[in-house]
Amino acid sequence: MLPAIPRRSEIIRAQQDRGGLVAAVLPIHYSRALLRAFDVLPVEVWGPPNVDASYGAAHLQPYVCSLVRNALSFLRTGGLDVVDVIVVPHACDSLQGLGSILIDFVRPSQPVIPLYLPRGMRESDIQFLAEEFRSVYRQLEDITHRSPSNADLMASIEREEAADALLAQLHQRRPQLALTQTEFYRLVRAREYLPAETCSELARAVLDGRPTDSPLQRAFNCQPDDSSSGNAAPTRNPPLKGEGIPILLSGIVPEPMSLFESIAEMGGVIVADDLACCGRRLYPPGKSKDAFLRMAEGLLGGPPDPMRGSPIQERLDHLLRLTRASGARGVVFYDVKFCEPELYDLPDLRRGLQEAGIPSATIEVDLNDPLSHQALTRIEAFLEMIA
Amino acid sequence: MSGRLVYHLNVSVLGRTFLRVQRWQAEQRGASGWKSQHLAPPLKISPRVKELVARHWLEARYANLHRKVAWVTSGAPVELLKALDYCVIYPENHAAICGTARVAVDMASEAENAGYSRDICSYARTDLGAMLSGKTPVGKLPKPDLLLACTNICQTVLFWYRVLARHFNAPLVLIDTPFVYYEKASEHAVEFVKRQLEEAVPVMERTAGRSLDERKLQEVGRLSRMASQLWMEIMQRNHHRPAPITAFDQFTQMAPVVELRGDAATVDLYAAMLKEVDERITRGIGAVKNERKRLLWDNLPIWYRLRYLAEFLGEHGVALVASTYTNAWGELTALIDPERPFESMARTYTYPILNRGTGHKLATMKRMIDEYHLDGAILHSDRSCKPYSIGQIDQRDRLIRDCGVPALLLEADHNDSRCYSEEPVANRLAAFVEMLG
Amino acid sequence: MTASRDERRMTNSVCALGIDVGSTTVKMVGVDAEGNLAWHLLEQADPRVEDQVERFLARAPCLSPPLAGGMKGRLFLVATGYGRKLVRPAARQVTEITCHAKGVYRELAAKRGGTLVDIGGQDSKVIGISPKGDVTDFSMNDKCAAGTGRFLENTANRLGVPLDRMGEVALSASHEVSISSTCTVFAESEVISLIAHGVAVEPILRGLHRSLIKRVVAMIRTVGLAPPLMLSGGVAQNQAIPRMLEEETGEKVILPRYPQLMGAYGAALIALEM
Repeated sequence: MLPAIPRRSEIIRAQQDRGGLVAAVLPIHYSRALLRAFDVLPVEVWGPPNVDASYGAAHLQPYVCSLVRNALSFLRTGGLDVVDVIVVPHACDSLQGLGSILIDFVRPSQPVIPLYLPRGMRESDIQFLAEEFRSVYRQLEDITHRSPSNADLMASIEREEAADALLAQLHQRRPQLALTQTEFYRLVRAREYLPAETCSELARAVLDGRPTDSPLQRAFNCQPDDSSSGNAAPTRNPPLKGEGIPILLSGIVPEPMSLFESIAEMGGVIVADDLACCGRRLYPPGKSKDAFLRMAEGLLGGPPDPMRGSPIQERLDHLLRLTRASGARGVVFYDVKFCEPELYDLPDLRRGLQEAGIPSATIEVDLNDPLSHQALTRIEAFLEMIA
Repeated sequence: MSGRLVYHLNVSVLGRTFLRVQRWQAEQRGASGWKSQHLAPPLKISPRVKELVARHWLEARYANLHRKVAWVTSGAPVELLKALDYCVIYPENHAAICGTARVAVDMASEAENAGYSRDICSYARTDLGAMLSGKTPVGKLPKPDLLLACTNICQTVLFWYRVLARHFNAPLVLIDTPFVYYEKASEHAVEFVKRQLEEAVPVMERTAGRSLDERKLQEVGRLSRMASQLWMEIMQRNHHRPAPITAFDQFTQMAPVVELRGDAATVDLYAAMLKEVDERITRGIGAVKNERKRLLWDNLPIWYRLRYLAEFLGEHGVALVASTYTNAWGELTALIDPERPFESMARTYTYPILNRGTGHKLATMKRMIDEYHLDGAILHSDRSCKPYSIGQIDQRDRLIRDCGVPALLLEADHNDSRCYSEEPVANRLAAFVEMLG
Repeated sequence: MTASRDERRMTNSVCALGIDVGSTTVKMVGVDAEGNLAWHLLEQADPRVEDQVERFLARAPCLSPPLAGGMKGRLFLVATGYGRKLVRPAARQVTEITCHAKGVYRELAAKRGGTLVDIGGQDSKVIGISPKGDVTDFSMNDKCAAGTGRFLENTANRLGVPLDRMGEVALSASHEVSISSTCTVFAESEVISLIAHGVAVEPILRGLHRSLIKRVVAMIRTVGLAPPLMLSGGVAQNQAIPRMLEEETGEKVILPRYPQLMGAYGAALIALEM
């Protein structure tokens, strides 16, 4: 049973009522701790799905992915009016382009802060990223007129590291949790906007099997809503360990969220996660006592990700480890169409998995389309194949 | 030892002789047989350019026998490798040759059949197809001993080169150049690039089996810069009306400054080309015989339709006079300071146009429209090249609004002819030419 | 190529039923206790799917007692195809991938497996089948008309060639015109342009078939070709398709007796196993 999760809009309102700021953050990797240290709440923009794409299309060609196009459309239709800052991390050519046209052409009223993500795991990359974070720190100083100390930053980092550690536990203990797949993803995806402390409380409540109560309401003094996020209440009994055809879900973002019900109806169960918005962001804690270095170490130490320049073998090893640990019998690559970072790796990944006896299937989606019959048939046929 | 012998026999003795004869024959033929009434014949130096490039590929064919081979991205700091005597191969150039020779689709199909999506860059698909099938119009591609990828042209090269690294089991050296969103790159970004360059040296030395000679590096830097400067001068001769060469000529003549930069022969070649261009100016020869209108081309060329586009525009007295693409190689290594190679390379390789914001590209296009006295622009919306194409819609709108010139957004792909629709493109071009007046 | 209604009845001992609710045609197959094809019915797809399914069931031959009683009062009926979720009387719904593999394995590839190419009106797929009859891998072109029967239909329309003669006309060409367009819509305008320039119908049609085949071959290469190479689906009845597929792959192509029924047949076999 999932504790009630506050809605995005409620959290934003509560934050602003307190006098704090809100940042809209585009995918994928960035430092939550840095923003929170300035009392800027990061609220991530994954799409969102189902936005009038014509606004984005006025600036972006059709071969740009719908994640980027929808983000721009959302901004142009006022979706980001409520935020104080826009952060655009660098992950791929399309996000690079989006950041650039926001700064040069679209020019929203809010300041736009780009953040470059280095693509190696060398000492020089960590140093650079630490410097890049220092640069963001200076920009945030100008915007908020605050100057958090190293101690403030470290405290903020520790909160985020704690939340990430609990999130990792949720992933590991997934089969034992009394949650449906939909509930599980609503829970872990709440990390996209909930403050770290609230995420930690939620995670602890679920891990301990506690029913929900006031701790959540205490956070920000907001009223949690049972029918949050617009998803229907679970209709099935939660799958226990061993029930359902186990698969690993890899890709970018699981939209539409009705995907989970569909998979459950087909008799599948997701037992491991390698999604860019979830499993690939289970950052390990850093080591340094210097806040900026620590942030950089944590970010660059995360699970393998093409956007961070990870070699293909590392990705393959990681997927094989995950499948073995979780008992997954197949991998579904669920990507947004036109996602080049994903597409280059797929042939080698699929071949490597096949050689290890793990079949895989690929699905491509557009964030504005409902889950198509074709995509569902593919998943169903795949489940039939590995059953 | 025998490898060396085979190499010398095939390349130095037989190969070069054969190519020299070919060039001589082409030079003798000269402009006879040139049929177009609207376009001037190709530059007399063209056979020499061809020879230089062909010699490079001939050497490449046998390179594994006696040299270390490096595959590099087109914006990579190649000077380091040249100074270590690597045979340097550019998969992008190779792919462009396939595009021009109209075999790119065939080769890309090999990659697609192996599971590579058609949504990835057509250069990459062409190259991966060549890698998987061994097919290539240049005879044979040598295996890389080292890979050098620099992200200053796009992020996808890194994904592509990771595949190559896996396939060839070769070390991949990454020079990650942070994107320059604003007017200037941050100091820590330039520092990062410099550090990566310095740290790349031991890796390159280890694979090469030799140490980097500072003087050799300076010499290569000097030659690189000279070639770049000459190339820039050649392009800037197009300020003249009528323009002595078109951007289409530039697309075909640019190969040496891209893939043979740092060689003395390249400097000599462009010096001679500059002379010939000046001759044309003196004699009032325009590349388009009846130049009425002058255009800018933005983005990569459409390699498999160069002839058609040149002729269509030429027929209407329209000369493609400048392009942001060829301009990039003039801007690029002109900044190299041979006395301070690492510092200057760090800046040089951080600042190519593709590593800079969409606003900067717009400013560059506006400046070129002004400098070259241009009447309009064609922006090739290249499906394969997102860093170049994203921003074009806004750039086009602003060119029309701020410079008062018509600007055409042309949807196609630089190497994949399946993404090029004859009728719609022809219609759009015709309408655009009418708009020019 | 397809009759509006086509019904065959071989024996009366139907033990299990399979229904394939496609987007262009609906097929139902009855099998006997040994799994042989005993009865079938084929119709053009009616948008009112549920009514059509009722009508089909009404026409199904007298069911032997085990069938009528069935598991918990349900029919031994398995549904597949685009509209399978709408067949409420079905005991199970199974995708067309699994069903086609099942049907074709039984008919053509028993004990050896192979590669099945199915080209339907609106999608095409390649299915790898193991010697035991399991699906090992599959590739689907389910997003784009180019590579499906629709591609040929549209463009053949433009050429004024009746559907059932397309293959014959294509094969009669002495040479072939290459169609470069990826997209059905652009291919159509390419065809118009060629006609306007006086190119004959036959070589254009052959080129169109070639485009389709090339798309299919790309999928075959993705899945991997393990002989025998088998062909099913409505488009299999176009004689140019198996011929040109053989040309492109260098493999002999074998067809089942009823290429359009393989999905429903496989579904019926699954029903029989239940």
